[in-house]
Amino acid sequence: MPLDAPEPGQRHRLGRSALARLLTLVPLLVLLGACQSRRDPDRLIVASRNRIDTVDPAGASTIGAMQLLSAIGDPLYAVRPDGSIEPRLAAQLPRISADGLRVVVPLRRGVVFHDGTPFDAAAMVFSLERFMAIGTLSYLLGDRVVGVRAVDSHTLELRLRKPFGAIPQLLSAINLTPLSPAAYRSHSRRQLSDRFVGTGPYRLTFFTPQQQRLEPFGRYWGRPPANNGLDLIALSNSTALFGALQSGEVDGLLSQSLEIDHQVALHQRSEQGLLVQATGPALNIVFLSVLSDQPPLNNPLLRRALALSLDRTRLIERVSQGLMAPLQGLVPPVVAGGTPQPWPAYDPAAARRLYRQAGYCGTRRLPLELTFRSNVPSDRLFALTWQALLQRDLGDCVELKVQGMETTTAYRLLGDGAFQLIVLDWMGDFPDADNYLVPLLGCEQAAGSVCRKGGSASSGSFWSRPGLEAELQRSATITGPQRLELVRRIQRQSADGSPYLPLWLVQPRMWVRPELALPRFDGSGRVLLQELRRR
Amino acid sequence: MSRSARLLRYVLARLALAPVMLWLLATLVFLLLRLAPGDPVDALLGTRAPAAARAALRAQLGLDQPLLGQYGGFLIKLLKGDLGLTLTNQQPVTEVIGQTLPASLELGAVALVLAAVVGLAVGFSGIARAEGRLDLAARLYGIGTYALPSFWLAMVAQLVFAVWLGWLPVGGRFPPTLLPPAGSGFYLFDSLRVGVLSGQWQALAGTLRHLVLPASTLAVLLSGIFANALRLNLRRAMASDYVEAARCRGLSERRLIVRHALPNALLPVLTISGITVASLIGGALLIEVTFSWPGIAARLQEAIAQRDYPLVQGIVLVVAALVVAVTVTVDVLVALLDPRLEF
Repeated sequence: MPLDAPEPGQRHRLGRSALARLLTLVPLLVLLGACQSRRDPDRLIVASRNRIDTVDPAGASTIGAMQLLSAIGDPLYAVRPDGSIEPRLAAQLPRISADGLRVVVPLRRGVVFHDGTPFDAAAMVFSLERFMAIGTLSYLLGDRVVGVRAVDSHTLELRLRKPFGAIPQLLSAINLTPLSPAAYRSHSRRQLSDRFVGTGPYRLTFFTPQQQRLEPFGRYWGRPPANNGLDLIALSNSTALFGALQSGEVDGLLSQSLEIDHQVALHQRSEQGLLVQATGPALNIVFLSVLSDQPPLNNPLLRRALALSLDRTRLIERVSQGLMAPLQGLVPPVVAGGTPQPWPAYDPAAARRLYRQAGYCGTRRLPLELTFRSNVPSDRLFALTWQALLQRDLGDCVELKVQGMETTTAYRLLGDGAFQLIVLDWMGDFPDADNYLVPLLGCEQAAGSVCRKGGSASSGSFWSRPGLEAELQRSATITGPQRLELVRRIQRQSADGSPYLPLWLVQPRMWVRPELALPRFDGSGRVLLQELRRR
Repeated sequence: MSRSARLLRYVLARLALAPVMLWLLATLVFLLLRLAPGDPVDALLGTRAPAAARAALRAQLGLDQPLLGQYGGFLIKLLKGDLGLTLTNQQPVTEVIGQTLPASLELGAVALVLAAVVGLAVGFSGIARAEGRLDLAARLYGIGTYALPSFWLAMVAQLVFAVWLGWLPVGGRFPPTLLPPAGSGFYLFDSLRVGVLSGQWQALAGTLRHLVLPASTLAVLLSGIFANALRLNLRRAMASDYVEAARCRGLSERRLIVRHALPNALLPVLTISGITVASLIGGALLIEVTFSWPGIAARLQEAIAQRDYPLVQGIVLVVAALVVAVTVTVDVLVALLDPRLEF
């Protein structure tokens, strides 16, 4: 029989057998689905997009790594959600000498490291010196502290370069968490990226960049964790994270790097009671850096006009469907000195008057170029929306061109004055006004209103004004109402110069399954993982 | 010179050229990375940290050295087999490769086997009746899987099987509630060993559950290549003179296909398999990213974004060396199987 003449029914048999094979796959998948490992209901899985390359406080610089460190380590002080300071491994608030150059920190007694060795001043000295020697962010301490020493077994002394008012806030940085000198003996001057021996409520028992296993530390000095342990996992894209929470594969989800569409969808689900949403203090600011030393934006009138051209409400509605809060200052409102917000609100009529005064509008339009970070989706959406809004409302005065650039490339070119306008974001290493003002406005070398060297230059603005640097330095040394007034004045005067245009605040969020209790954030914007629990 | 001697000479020549090729590649990667704007300090610190701190970190990472000095140091270390330390966390590059390469190889191997089985079955299915329904379906399958964007298929699979049905995990390589089995880094093998030795099969089930979606998605995408290649080559072989001559000698169609046409049609498929294996050694980036598979392609992508020079150089070199090894092996295999080839 020729091959192309099958027996009657042969094709049907073939079709049936293929169908039968296909159908066997379905039960196989169901079987695999059923083969899930049994979970301890009080162990929780928390997912985020944060791949963590190192758990060494000396090398950690990402938000994800800080979040992990805050669960396995303790800082000397912690910032409460209301901004006040709470001693953690310190027994009380620091005592500062009359000249402001010596800081004495009494330490808590009865604390042990995960390896059972005692925590004392020598361990704290070891950890701080190690951080200053090999820390990626060593400037945090190194720029302010000359040296540390143990006065006695449980008293630490820091010698400062110059008086620094926000010392408890500085010592709340989780990178300064103590490490067991015994465990890190052979790593005193090199990093140990995959192990951690500290004093926190959890022990790190397994570490890969994608997954970390935390077990409650039985000898923890403080309140024991409310759960039986945590598994932190990193999924590499926002869709997978969203799906994992939806399907119940994970118990909680952190908002960092989650696409705004997914955040909005999760927010809506939490409003419907399908999820529980917690929000932390908004410490991350998003702003435009304005190139102030080159024409045309070296003209203060134009910078002021641009500040009046930002319809933040509309922009935020489009970029985040209202999930972000508008920002009209450089210091977040939750940080002392962050209110009132001095940058002007949207006023197209006033903006038009200023553009006109500068010789634009009508036949002559101001050509501007806005750069956004191409790998940050909200930046792109902002750039396109603002372009359209300007075209609609002030199209006869301004012509905005937008272009994307990869983040690392943009950061490298920023200090070269390569961008007329660029969208950037910033979060201070610890919640203090100086951490926002100095990196953006600081200037080591200025010529009139142009900054040649310093934070303002490396942030792409190059703006300064006589006396600003002295005021910033003074702000670091004083405390109390005097300092608050100074911070407000610096912000007001900066708003007049408009070297930056604040856009919005990013608030950290966490979503958990409805069977979990509402999570809490600390004042540094990190979730208190040890408090996560089922209802 | 005999054929086997010529083959040996060919293989030796290919192997001798490999170090030169790898050196050229290493140099190119070294230069391109440093020509790209931004360095690891920009990636690590962003806009924060004062200029002095940035300079100090640059010096700590050895980035303040002259380019020639950096290149010399890199080559000297390379000759000693030392790929250096990552800039982001000071971990040996070989260790990172050792952790991520098995993940990519495991995914690639399982996907390749599935793709070969499905693809060859589909490619073979239409031979019975040219232009028949089955043949048409096979052709459509081949074209369709070629045309499907991998990320789209991956996300649809994720949505259906993980989110809606909840049968399989959304991503990752192993259940977070279990500890991955220690051993070779090939979880399928390691967890099978654990199962056999201890009777604990949870690890194997967990590995399989995490492997199903990425492997089958990749397999579907690859199977079209096999299906099309086999279909076309089998059709060509069936129309060739030697098959016609065999048919005239009265051989049955089954024998004709199995003994005469198929072996010849499979030779180009073997070459294609070699190329596919070579491409999979470097990982399947979109699949790895979509399914959060901790493979070498995803790691390379991150390393490029972080401007982690030693890691990018190390991964590119190791992958290139493996690709050379695979292509030489496939060339030799094809040469051994096909006596018509000359060198």
